Amino acid sequence: MSPGARLLDALEQGGIAQAMRDSMWLYPVVETVHIVGFIILVGAVILFDLRVLGLSKRVPVRMLAAHLLPWGAAALVLIVPAGLLMFSSDAGNLVGNRAFVLKMLLLMLAGANAAAFHMGSFRTAARWDQGVTAPVSARLHAAASLLLWIGIVTCGRMIAYA
Amino acid sequence: MKKLSALSLLVTSLVALPVAAHHGWSRYDNDKPITLTGKVVEASYTYPHGTIKLDAAGKTWLAVLAPPSRMSARGLSSDDLKPGIQATVEGYPNRDDPAEMRAERITIGGKTTELR
Repeated sequence: MSPGARLLDALEQGGIAQAMRDSMWLYPVVETVHIVGFIILVGAVILFDLRVLGLSKRVPVRMLAAHLLPWGAAALVLIVPAGLLMFSSDAGNLVGNRAFVLKMLLLMLAGANAAAFHMGSFRTAARWDQGVTAPVSARLHAAASLLLWIGIVTCGRMIAYA
Repeated sequence: MKKLSALSLLVTSLVALPVAAHHGWSRYDNDKPITLTGKVVEASYTYPHGTIKLDAAGKTWLAVLAPPSRMSARGLSSDDLKPGIQATVEGYPNRDDPAEMRAERITIGGKTTELR
């Protein structure tokens, strides 16, 4: 067994992973926590992206960012542990599940895209805060973010059918 | 600018991929339905889906069933899935693993439970 496979096996044999498999209510509850979390995160991200793309230009971009983005980040406290719990229950299978692998890849791209936006075009946001069209680079980041997150949700749903 | 356009192109194609691949996506071969009857040698009534190991057609198959909540709602309890019983599963073989299948329905003691 390779070190990676041993690690996945150890994770799957752990007490929490076993409880996830054996309990009649734990898995559905954890799944629901994951969903409630990503509703907040993806909702916040999509609404912010739509504003950067040019909808509701009278709403100041920086004020909207200050309201929505901390909620999105806070939601990770629900999303990540719940996701890891579900992963642990079926780790060996999931690493070979194409929907899961693609979802992780898209998540990394979405993270890189958000980081690039915040270190790049968002730093000039004072100049396009309200009533004007955002620069092309900002709109491209927003469009990419929108597509990536729709892809991530799609892949997440597809894990069960892949 | 060029870099960004390349990124958004990549992103678009990645998002489009699951749609384009919707038939080849599945690990199970929908074109080759199989029916197996045999003795259950192992059974698990677990999330995310239950499984049984079944001695049939000269080997031990792993048949992937459904989530316990669904099986229970359709009248297939954990007591129905015990080693030693006879079961028939209808479903699709795994493309990569010749001893694994995804069961669409299972028949135990004359009672058929739909799993999808």
